[in-house]
Amino acid sequence: MHKIAEVEIQHDIMAANKKLAKRNQRIFDKADVFTVDVLGAIGSGKTSLIENLIEKMDYKIGVIAGDVISRFDAGRFEKYNVPVVGLNTGKECHLDAHLVKHALGDLPLDDIEILFIENVGNLICPVDFDLGAHLRMVVISVSEGDDTVEKHPLIFKDADIVVINKVDIAKAVGADENKMFNDVKELNPDAVVIKSSLKTGEGLREIMDNIQKFME
Amino acid sequence: MHELSMADAIVKTAVDVAEKNDAQKITEITIEIGGLALLNPEQLKFMIEVLSENTLLEGAEVNVEEIPIEIKCESCNYEGPTGSEELDHYMPIVKCPECENVSIKIIKGRECNVKNIKIEKEDEDA
Ligand SMILES: Nc1nc2c(ncn2[C@@H]2O[C@H](COP(=O)(O)OP(=O)(O)O)[C@@H](O)[C@H]2O)c(=O)[nH]1
Ligand SMILES: [Mg+2]
Ligand SMILES: [Zn+2]
Repeated sequence: MHKIAEVEIQHDIMAANKKLAKRNQRIFDKADVFTVDVLGAIGSGKTSLIENLIEKMDYKIGVIAGDVISRFDAGRFEKYNVPVVGLNTGKECHLDAHLVKHALGDLPLDDIEILFIENVGNLICPVDFDLGAHLRMVVISVSEGDDTVEKHPLIFKDADIVVINKVDIAKAVGADENKMFNDVKELNPDAVVIKSSLKTGEGLREIMDNIQKFME
Repeated sequence: MHELSMADAIVKTAVDVAEKNDAQKITEITIEIGGLALLNPEQLKFMIEVLSENTLLEGAEVNVEEIPIEIKCESCNYEGPTGSEELDHYMPIVKCPECENVSIKIIKGRECNVKNIKIEKEDEDA
């Protein structure tokens, strides 16, 4: 004889990641490391922005390079003589707290004041995976089209700083950077939104000042 | 796009609970997915079926229930559904349906839960 039983589970699949993210944040706090999760589409300028920040910010910086082409970006950061760990995500479309935890073992946390984590270039998958960072910075660019914000609202809803990059080529690609700015502000009135060009340096000072404000 | 790793976690959770309950097989599993979770229900279902092979979950009926989106307005304190029937994910999270203010927080709709399973086990009285 067989009997059928119903078993209540009510298990949140995301809970494990959230717990690990909290644990990561405790590690960052203990070592006094301010951590920034850098998200955005492929080619929006995440690596270029972090390179600029390494050069211009007066802090000891470390980087976790988690883009799909991780070895490639890690190589770019190594040229700046800062501690870098390249995370190979394999086919995974996002970093998760567990992967980040692994990378932490290879970083001299006591010697780092700001840790940038370059997430996988993707506006969808990383959204639901907290890494334990203190700040979420989303970098998009005008070349992805000025409807990017409308198409991927959730990533902006959760962001602390949103950088709208490559405004130097906005006209050439027929995108309206002010529309993008307003779309983000409507979705997330609390977000700091900054238009930038890493070619001309526009907006870079404002990005640095705002990261610093969040550190206080 | 991360349906595969989510499906893997779902299968493991279900099989684990089934084993602890001395199940011989799982006949049904119910998953809850928030209307804003960045997961495709059909893809998720397919991946669960594939990963279930040779486990207690093999052949089980997979039900996916949607958890509706709910928001809280920071301006008028409205709490509840967004009232929008829009198919895209944009409008529901932009404006409060009561006062149209844009300062709203999402309080429901991003979940991915294993709700319950139905299992078959040996009847002890038999
Ligand atoms: N015109 C222009 N090009 C930029 C700007 N920022 C980055 N780029 C270029 O965009 C390409 C992709 O940048 P990268 O930092 O690798 O993007 P990632 O994939 O987000 O890390 C590179 O060729 C950069 O030189 C910018 O503000 N203006
Ligand atoms: Mg990069
Ligand atoms: Zn309201």
